[in-house]
Amino acid sequence: MALRALRRVGPGLAPRCPRLPPPLPPRVLAARRLGTSSLVLSARKFTDKHEWISVENGIGTVGISNFAQEALGDVVYCSLPEIGTKLNKHDEFGALESVKAASELYSPLSGEVTAINDALADNPGLVNKSCYQDGWLIKMTVENPAELDELMNEDAYEKYIKSIED
Amino acid sequence: MVPQSSLKNCLQLLCILQAPKAGFRSTASGGLIMQSTSNDVYQNLAVEDWIHDHMNLENQQVLFLWRNSPAVVIGRHQNPWQECNLRLLRQKNIKLARRRSGGGTVYHDLGNINLTFFTTRKKHERMENLKLVVKALKALRPQLDIHVTDRYDILLDRQYKISGTAAKLGRTAAYHHCTLLCNTDKLVLSSVLKSPYKGLKSNATPSVPAAVKNLFEEDSSLTSELLLDAIAEEYAMQHKIDRHINLINPADETVLPGINNKAKELQTWEWVYGKTPKFSVSTHFNIAYKDSVLDVKVDMDVKHGRIEVCNIDLPEQWLPPALCSELVKNLTGSKFCPNETTVLVTTLLRACPQDGDLQSRWNLLCENIKMLM
Repeated sequence: MALRALRRVGPGLAPRCPRLPPPLPPRVLAARRLGTSSLVLSARKFTDKHEWISVENGIGTVGISNFAQEALGDVVYCSLPEIGTKLNKHDEFGALESVKAASELYSPLSGEVTAINDALADNPGLVNKSCYQDGWLIKMTVENPAELDELMNEDAYEKYIKSIED
Repeated sequence: MVPQSSLKNCLQLLCILQAPKAGFRSTASGGLIMQSTSNDVYQNLAVEDWIHDHMNLENQQVLFLWRNSPAVVIGRHQNPWQECNLRLLRQKNIKLARRRSGGGTVYHDLGNINLTFFTTRKKHERMENLKLVVKALKALRPQLDIHVTDRYDILLDRQYKISGTAAKLGRTAAYHHCTLLCNTDKLVLSSVLKSPYKGLKSNATPSVPAAVKNLFEEDSSLTSELLLDAIAEEYAMQHKIDRHINLINPADETVLPGINNKAKELQTWEWVYGKTPKFSVSTHFNIAYKDSVLDVKVDMDVKHGRIEVCNIDLPEQWLPPALCSELVKNLTGSKFCPNETTVLVTTLLRACPQDGDLQSRWNLLCENIKMLM
């Protein structure tokens, strides 16, 4: 099950990591700090709307970033698409509700929904507690792998967050 | 009032405007105040959608003021059966609407005013908007004891809710809307927001009930018009814009192209009921017939507002098992809706033997099942 594969992915997004001088790339830092595989970590890509996707064997797992879950506050309901839904890049695929606000979710890539995280129905708070692991949202096929290149890697995303926070 | 043609120009301008250059952004403070000429909840919610989808809010913020004739408005991820008395709504001709924002269920009538604050997603700040409302009310009546809670409610006298909030965050735009109780019919409010349905199980967002009070009860000189003007004035002052309220007709396609389709979509059964998060009903009821009382057990799973799984448990001698299973078969896949059920059971009854006693029993059963919806 892909969920198991996901568990190998390290938690703790870059914003929490201290800035180090250039010779040490952030993923090495994360690997050292958390003891996770840098190879898997480098595969996680981000959109400017704070969704992440990590692709394994042609299937992408999608969730929201730590920055996004912190900004949202306690998630009380996850509205997710049906399996088989075809999505274009940027399509709205659902919404998360937190503190009376509905925040729409946007697909990072084009593809078809192959799984949704059923655990979120009874436990939507997983999105807060474990946004990179147990709190994933959907899995989808990757129709156009070139679209992955348009997304930010962890390092670029970290810089992006800093830029919007300033 | 600004003529519609100039409002049209204004809206077009806002839609075309590109994001300002970075250096300009900090000093620019623009905005527009609009008020709906309609009291139709679907039309007014459609205006919100239209502004959210079409207007460039980068350097212009929008305040939209609206009031509705009696309506119950549920949050995006709520279950109407769990939140209100649908039978009473139908009886009293009160509309039911599902909004696109989160949060709980509210009752609207002309004694309640609605304020929608549109900004970019980045500038979305609910607390600031609510503070603006409080400031406007205090400017009007300094003696009012009102404050904002951390749940974004506005409380009067530390205990009565006079305003509730919800928000929607889109890709680039966002809005925050809130109610403000001025002179709402509290009797109707409390009776329609009471669900009579038993045995519902659902993960839908539940409402948090609160004791409410009208501002009119605190100060009978406060009218909706007075409150709207005060809020518009405070908004205009804070955004350094003209305090003029532009009237907008939500049916006018020349000003708001595509608006009528948006309003229609909000009225569809698929949106209002069909968007209900999956739920189950597990209940039983008693049927008194002649000298006996019968206990009937009903279990249903409802997904997208349609009955996915259905079980009806009743003694064989009371209704032929074939007929009962035919009912279950027909209910499965149909809308969890009394009107649809009426059509369905009438059709089934036509096909069954013309036995007066059987027909009475059948009708009793079906009436009770419809009461669950």
